[in-house]
Amino acid sequence: MIHSDVQLDAKGLACPMPIVKTKKAMQTVEEGQVLEVQATDKGSKADLAAWAKTVGHQYIGTIEEDGVLFHYIRKCNLEVSAAVEKTFENTATIEEALSSNATILDVRETAEYAFGHIPGAKSIPMGELENRMNELNKEETIYVICRTGTRSDLAAGQLTQAGFTNIYNVLPGMSGYEGELEKEVK
Amino acid sequence: MSNKVAIIAANGGLFDAYKVFNIATAAAASEKEVQIFFTFEGLNLIHKQGMYALEMPAGKEHFAEGFKNAQVPTIPQLVEMAQDLGVKFIACQMTMDVMGLTKEDFVDGIDVGGAVTFLEFAKDAAPTLTF
Repeated sequence: MIHSDVQLDAKGLACPMPIVKTKKAMQTVEEGQVLEVQATDKGSKADLAAWAKTVGHQYIGTIEEDGVLFHYIRKCNLEVSAAVEKTFENTATIEEALSSNATILDVRETAEYAFGHIPGAKSIPMGELENRMNELNKEETIYVICRTGTRSDLAAGQLTQAGFTNIYNVLPGMSGYEGELEKEVK
Repeated sequence: MSNKVAIIAANGGLFDAYKVFNIATAAAASEKEVQIFFTFEGLNLIHKQGMYALEMPAGKEHFAEGFKNAQVPTIPQLVEMAQDLGVKFIACQMTMDVMGLTKEDFVDGIDVGGAVTFLEFAKDAAPTLTF
């Protein structure tokens, strides 16, 4: 099962109810968290993707299990995230990260990672990084990536402060990656 | 991009009601500002008693079961939901005068206005829809 922060049961409901319920549920979701919407309305797949695009949230993807659609949407405030200044000085391009053979650390939410990541990339969501730094080696070169470079900017700063010596923030992030994707979902 | 959706509801059947309120609630849930102008038979859709007894088109009554099976909300439920989401209802004053109806005949929270009231809202709405 893909990890999500808030779950909404919209099974058995017809259009426009899954959208109406999703809008209401989103009010209880915090910025950056992932909402899982469970629905049986076949139209909800196209509708929720379109809704997220209209409203400005990130539609991550949908999986189907036993006739139930599980949609994943990450709450965003596009104006806020675009306005955040990136401060970490050591940056790298996607090409540099890929050709280095060093560790690529993906700090997006696990749901985002599950729907497609760079093959071999290690997943530690931004919010878990502080407690999981012991999984990483302080001397090794690490390329930190997220979707647009904002979360990875913060993560790179955290790692450097914790004594890591060879950290790069990958820009622009997965939003600019066009290579092969490895997925955890069918 | 316009953030307004303007809808004219001019027909009073059950199918008409679903078209109007499904689009209206979906738009409102997508953070659009929505106004519906109810005129002529469209006034049935927000009439306190009338909205409970909207008719299917002749010969289509067998769809009643389909509505039930698909768990489609009832019209009174959609009306409440639409208002809850901030959809604004405007009843047409002229039609009300012709039909001898007053504001009290309709669900609470509506505005009564003339064509210009609606046109003022609709002038920069995209889309404007007529049902």
